[in-house]
Amino acid sequence: MKRALLTLVCLLGFQTIFFAGNVSDTIYINSGQGLFVNGKQMPCKGFNSTPTYENRNAQLSVGIMDTLVLTIVNNDTILHGFDIRGISGYKDTLQQGDTLEVTFHSSTPRVCIYYDHINYPNNAYMGLAGILAVGANANTYYWNIKDHQSDWNDSIASGGVVDWLDYYPDYFTINGLSNPDINSDTTARVEGNIGDTILIFMANTGQAEHSIHFHGYHCEILYSTSSSMHAGRIKDTFPLKRMEGYLLRLVPHQTGEYPVHDHNLLSITGGGLYPFGMFLTILIQ
Amino acid sequence: MMRKLIGTCLLLMIFLFAEAQTNVFLIGRTLGEKVIANGDTLRVYGFAPSLSTHPPIPAPLIEANQGDSVHIDFWNVSQLHHHTIHLHGLDVDQANDGVPMLSFSVDHMEHGWYHFEAPHAGTYLYHCHVGSTLHLQAGMYGPIIIRPSDGSNTTWDGGYAFDTETLLFMSELDTFWHTDSILDHEHIDGAVHDTLLVPKYNPDYFLINGLSDQQLEDSVELNSKTNYVNYFRLVNIGYCTNKVIFPSSLGARIVDSDGRPLPIEEFSDTIEVYPGERYGVLVESSVPILDSIEVHYFDMMTSELKNIQHVKVDIRVPNQVEEFENVIDFSIAPNPVDQDVRISFDLLKETNLSLRIVSIDGKLMLSEFPRVYEQGKHTLVLSTNEYASGQYILSLSDGNNVTSKSFIKK
Repeated sequence: MKRALLTLVCLLGFQTIFFAGNVSDTIYINSGQGLFVNGKQMPCKGFNSTPTYENRNAQLSVGIMDTLVLTIVNNDTILHGFDIRGISGYKDTLQQGDTLEVTFHSSTPRVCIYYDHINYPNNAYMGLAGILAVGANANTYYWNIKDHQSDWNDSIASGGVVDWLDYYPDYFTINGLSNPDINSDTTARVEGNIGDTILIFMANTGQAEHSIHFHGYHCEILYSTSSSMHAGRIKDTFPLKRMEGYLLRLVPHQTGEYPVHDHNLLSITGGGLYPFGMFLTILIQ
Repeated sequence: MMRKLIGTCLLLMIFLFAEAQTNVFLIGRTLGEKVIANGDTLRVYGFAPSLSTHPPIPAPLIEANQGDSVHIDFWNVSQLHHHTIHLHGLDVDQANDGVPMLSFSVDHMEHGWYHFEAPHAGTYLYHCHVGSTLHLQAGMYGPIIIRPSDGSNTTWDGGYAFDTETLLFMSELDTFWHTDSILDHEHIDGAVHDTLLVPKYNPDYFLINGLSDQQLEDSVELNSKTNYVNYFRLVNIGYCTNKVIFPSSLGARIVDSDGRPLPIEEFSDTIEVYPGERYGVLVESSVPILDSIEVHYFDMMTSELKNIQHVKVDIRVPNQVEEFENVIDFSIAPNPVDQDVRISFDLLKETNLSLRIVSIDGKLMLSEFPRVYEQGKHTLVLSTNEYASGQYILSLSDGNNVTSKSFIKK
């Protein structure tokens, strides 16, 4: 029995050493005109996977014990920064046209938020904040949750000053999209089968707080950026403070199409219109 | 003879193993009225137990035991508007989920039937999911409590036993949203969903169990005794973040959330409850306490503190003798009660007694001034016609001693 256990431990150790590897990715700091629900446009910024601006930030992923070699290119005309929230040693800056290379690895599954710490929170608010997932599987989804007060994007983009105590966002997005467009994002819209192990990497990179509610299912918190006490809790509603996130495990027990939405119901609006906000559905066959 | 015996046994087995059924009847209204703390009357939407009453805020408590089969008959009497009932947190199937475009909605003067098997003991809620940003604020929400399989005062099957139970159901009111121009929103028959223009939210009343300020202080409190275990069910159905702060001497511990026990209970005097969340909290004290629980309301966009409400806590040393020595044969009948309830007791000597009835969510229903009752048997008859369905605690007190019994209003 002892020998069998020892063999298993050795094999697992060997497997970890053998399979741990490097993955490379490049992201670009872009600025552009973001297109939102019902045709609304506003100036935005993003860490994108191509040199062209899009609302969705790059979804970075690395396996447990693997090393991510990440190249960041500043395509914008002003100074920007890069940092990974809650992990020391990553804070750095990039002048216009600069390139920065960082390496990252984690021995445990977790959700991390990478973001621009310069002129915080303005640059992050304009869109420069995304999800870095550790331990994704074949059934993994990403929910990068943001909010915008549309006239503030114009103001910040033109160098204006805003008072965050007056913040009243009017657009609410997941991966840069609002209802009904979120359901067409295959990285956001959960589709699966009964008994699947589905992982959801969820982070609030906006400047409002949110409370994400699941219909039809409870999920288990595998990791929380805000407290280790949260791990293992099984819930249907997940409070999200600013720049905090969860790694959730969903194992569906029933078929059907069920909504997931912010239960701060003011966030199910877009430009003041219900239901064009933070609302999508899960489809289980 | 043998056949008869077998038949009787089969019937008995069916009776013993059949799940209990809970039937609920709710009426959807859009012309309700609610008196707020400043004495003004607001128009509200809501779920009413009968046509003769305004819909209460929150809506009537739905109670069942784990494993029960719950059937809700929802009758919509609200002119042009359609509504649904979403059973929040109960993980019901799609057909019963109450989301109009994915299950069904109920038109004016139509009935809709919802059904679920109560899956886990815990605290849940129900609300309309049509134009939900507006219909919730208008008042269409209420609590659901699923008790353990045996209906006992424990947090869940095999969980913690408790002596008292208090529901704190938190929300807000923006009085501007309760004007006709907002509430009479357009509804297009056959539309997948109503597209609504939602006004800016600026709540001016901050509610616990539908009450605020003096209304709240007069009605909702924890009255308990030293070394009693007191179970709080915290629910947030508003659009603010709540921070519930218990007096540190109560040693608050969070034991469950969203209808599931926590894997590791958390000791904390401060519990943050976000919209849609529920928490179960146990508190007790070995010494008398006269203090209050603070409920803070924070703007979710700015984190600005908008308001603080207080729930009184009065924990006293219990009398050496739990029951009055001079009160015997204290009973309540019928129980459950449909209309009138008979309260019977026998006094060994003349006693100055007061009578008090509190709902399970802490709402004071009746508080009589003390009056002298002669030695001997007494029977009081009280009408419960105005009471919502649910559990109530009836107490007799002479100022020093208290004796209580609970009853269920059907």
